[in-house]
Formats: sequence, C-alpha cells, structure tokens
Amino acid sequence: VRAFAAGFRLQLRVVRSDADYVLPLATVPLFAITFLAIFRHAGRDDLTAYAVMAPVLIALWALALLDSGEIVEGDRWQGVLEPAVAAPASFPVIVLGRILAVTTIGLLSFAEVWLVARLLFGISIEIEHPIPFLLTLAATAFAVSGTAVIMAALFVLSRTPRTFQNSLSFPFYVLGGVLVPVSFLPDWLEPVSSVIFLSWSADLLRDSLDEAAVDDLAARLGAVVLLGAVGFAIGYALLARILHRARSHGTLDLV
Amino acid sequence: LTRIREIWRVVRYSVVSGAYDYFEIYTLKSWVLGWLVRVLSQITFFALIGRLLDSEAQTHFLLIGNAIVIAAMGGIFALFMTTAERANGTLSLLVASPSSPAIVFASRGVYVTADAAFSALLGLFIVGPIFDLALPWPEVVMVVPLTVLVGFSAYAFSTFLAGLVLRHRESNGLVVNATIVSLMTLCGINVPISFFPEPLEWIASLLPVTNGLEAIRDVLNGEGARVILANAAAEAAVLLGWLTLALATFGRFVGHGRRDGSLEFAS
Repeated sequence: VRAFAAGFRLQLRVVRSDADYVLPLATVPLFAITFLAIFRHAGRDDLTAYAVMAPVLIALWALALLDSGEIVEGDRWQGVLEPAVAAPASFPVIVLGRILAVTTIGLLSFAEVWLVARLLFGISIEIEHPIPFLLTLAATAFAVSGTAVIMAALFVLSRTPRTFQNSLSFPFYVLGGVLVPVSFLPDWLEPVSSVIFLSWSADLLRDSLDEAAVDDLAARLGAVVLLGAVGFAIGYALLARILHRARSHGTLDLV
Repeated sequence: LTRIREIWRVVRYSVVSGAYDYFEIYTLKSWVLGWLVRVLSQITFFALIGRLLDSEAQTHFLLIGNAIVIAAMGGIFALFMTTAERANGTLSLLVASPSSPAIVFASRGVYVTADAAFSALLGLFIVGPIFDLALPWPEVVMVVPLTVLVGFSAYAFSTFLAGLVLRHRESNGLVVNATIVSLMTLCGINVPISFFPEPLEWIASLLPVTNGLEAIRDVLNGEGARVILANAAAEAAVLLGWLTLALATFGRFVGHGRRDGSLEFAS
C-alpha cells in the first residue's frame, strides 16, 4: 500500500511540473462546446446528456493514452527505470498508483463540462440518479486505469509509442459508443463493442442523467469492473514479464 | 536570381528532411493500420452524430466538415517540428545559419501537410459513400485542390504560431491541440459559423478552413462556379495573410530568443 501511495503522490507531483500532462483537460471545454453546439443547432436539447458525458470519457481515455501509457517509457527515457525496478518495492504496484493518480485528475473533466454547459449554454446538468452516476464514475476510473496498465506495458515494446497514441483514440470512441450509442453501429460490430468497457460506461452515465430508472445497474456495473479487472490482470502480467525478461537479458534500458 | 536559387535549395532540403522525419514516425503498415484507421474513425464518429439526430443533411454536413479538417490537422501538427528541432539540438545551429529559419519552418512541414490533405481526401471518398454522400462527377475533382488549399492555409497559420511559441516549448502541445479543437469548433465544421455570436463569426472567417470548407460544400452541393471561386479566393487570401505574417514576425521572435537565451534554455 505504501508503494502504491508513493506512486500516486509521485505522479501528482510529476503532473504539476508540466502542463503537457493535463493537455486533454484543456481540450475538454472545446469538445463540450462542439457537442453542445451540434445538438443545440439541431434543436435536440434532449440529447444534452450525450454531449456532456462524451468529453469526460474522451478526457479519461486520452489521459490513459498520453500520460499513463508513457509512465514506464518516460522512466526509461529519463534513465530512472533501472533504479526503480531494482528498488525493493514492487514496480508494477508503483505504476498502478501513478496510473490511478492520472485517472483521478481526469475526473476533473466533469467539473469543466458542468461549467461550460452552465456558463455558455445556460444548461444545468441534473444528475437524476446520483448513486448509479457516482458508482459508474468510480467503476470507469477503475476500468480506464486497468486498460492504461496494458498501454504502459505495450508502449515500452513499441518503437514509436506516438503512433499508438495517435491511433487509439477515435476508433475506441466509435466502438465504445462514447457519444453515439453502439446500437447505431452495424450489428456485426456490437460483439466488439461489448468487450470495450467504454460502451457500458457511456450508456450507464447517460442513463444516470435521464429521468427513467437505470435498468440492470448491478450487471452493467459488473461488466465495467470485470473488463477493468481483466485489463489490470493482462497489464500486470505483461509488465512483469517484460521487466523479468529485460532484467534476465540485461537489456532493461534497451527493452 | 542567385538568391531565389538559394532559397529554393533551402526549401528543397527542408521538404526532404521533413519527409524523412515523417518516415521515422510511420511505416506504410503503421500508416494504414494506425493513422488511416484513426482518420476513418474520426470522420465516422462525427457522421454518426448525424445518424443520432436522424438527419441525412446533418450527417453529410458533419462528414464533409470532419473529413476536410483532417487536412488542417496535419498543417497544425507541423508545428511540432519546432519542438523537434530543439529536442534534436539543431535549433541554435539553424538560427545561427545564414538562411532564414522562417523559410526552413515554412517548408519542413510541407510533406506532413500534403500527407494530411491526402488522408482527408481518402477519408471523404471512403466514408462518404458509406453514409450515402453524393460525390458528383466531374465536379468532385475540384475538391482535391480545395482540400490541399485548406491544408496549406492551416500550415501557414501553424508556421505563424510556431514563431510565437518558439521560446515556450512547454506550451507547444497545448497550442497544437487547442488550435485543432478550436478550428473544429469555430470554422463551420460541425455547425455553421452563423451559429456563433457575430464577433466569433468574423474571427472564424479570418481563420484557415472556414472559407475553403465552404467552397468544398458548394462544390458538393452543386453551387455555381462564381460562389465556389469567391470562397476559394477568400481561403487563398487567408493563406497568404498568415504566411506573410509568419515570414514578417518569425525573425523578430527568433531575435528575442537569441537576446535572452530562451531559444535553447527555456523549459
């Protein structure tokens, strides 16, 4: 737990040192304006919940890609990977703590969207089902962190992580139904969407803002948590394997 | 004449070195499976909003706007070249050399911009038919030069911004991303510019993309040549305006950086 907390604190300090780390938060208001403007222009204020939740999910995903994904690669680039791995504390646990810190910062995006909707569009976001909403946000934060561990491991193996970072955004926003529900996608894509936690999270978040009752809350939340746990397990195993192999071959700095 | 020949030589080498930089980022495989998939997904993401709105007109409006903005995205991405120059330790050498850094920066991203214009067109011609967008032949051919114009207009704007942020490396990422999303918000890509208050509408007309995109919509909507040409001319004027501003101010920004040492040593 101490290693995890130390990782969490370290990442908060790292983020404070460079504005680039919170870049996705800077684009959240602009995405919110764009989506709200599209629905307002079309006279579809009934779709406001779609417009306000999409930038939050986009920010969480982008932070996972840009910040969390680069944690291990960044350590290697700065020459601190070897001492970090040699330290008695578990390196993957420290990485988990750092990733969770990034995700926690990402949750600020909801406050940004709330302000944009209120100040620029005069929309007051009503959370009709606060408990499902908070549970979904927590489960989503868990799942996005789990997926980020996979990214952190894979980016170490990649020659050009930037290529992945540039490429893994919009395909997942489409398949994850971040703005437009997956029911608008062709039927053959729905099985793919169902294993992407974003699709469950997006539907649940939108339903939490809607007056109608949230159906099957436990099962749907369970799907988000399960997919997050699978992400953690795969990422942890990948990271441990990559580090073990690099230490055995003496190529830690050259993974 | 010798001066022109020298400038042309610098331009040529800058374009080639920019292209080699780009080849380091993408192989053909990663371009197709990574970049192109992202481009097609981005256009689809916005076109699907039209489906959600249950409006074919909105679907096509969003599809065209978000396909063409890919060309502008590439132009703005070229701004990262300045950061790369500093990271590689070649910025001070470039500034110390007798040729103008503005010419180098205005040429190094040409390949990236051309590639982005190509991606935008590929996206429009692949995703368009999936969403039943009519591409009238032979008028649609006009879309090709207009998309290139939009890309280079954004690139001229990006070169001007490169001068502004040259001494503030830490803000490069922020400037690039905020510029792209601002263009997506303001320049008639997702909603007509008339949706915004008049001052913003006025600003949008001076930014890249707005007029060129309007010309492309005119072509696809079967408008007359005069309307298309007027919008295309406005986009060309925006391009020349930002390029002139970039060339006029770049030396001054570099001069400031040389005086206070911020070119190489700022964070």
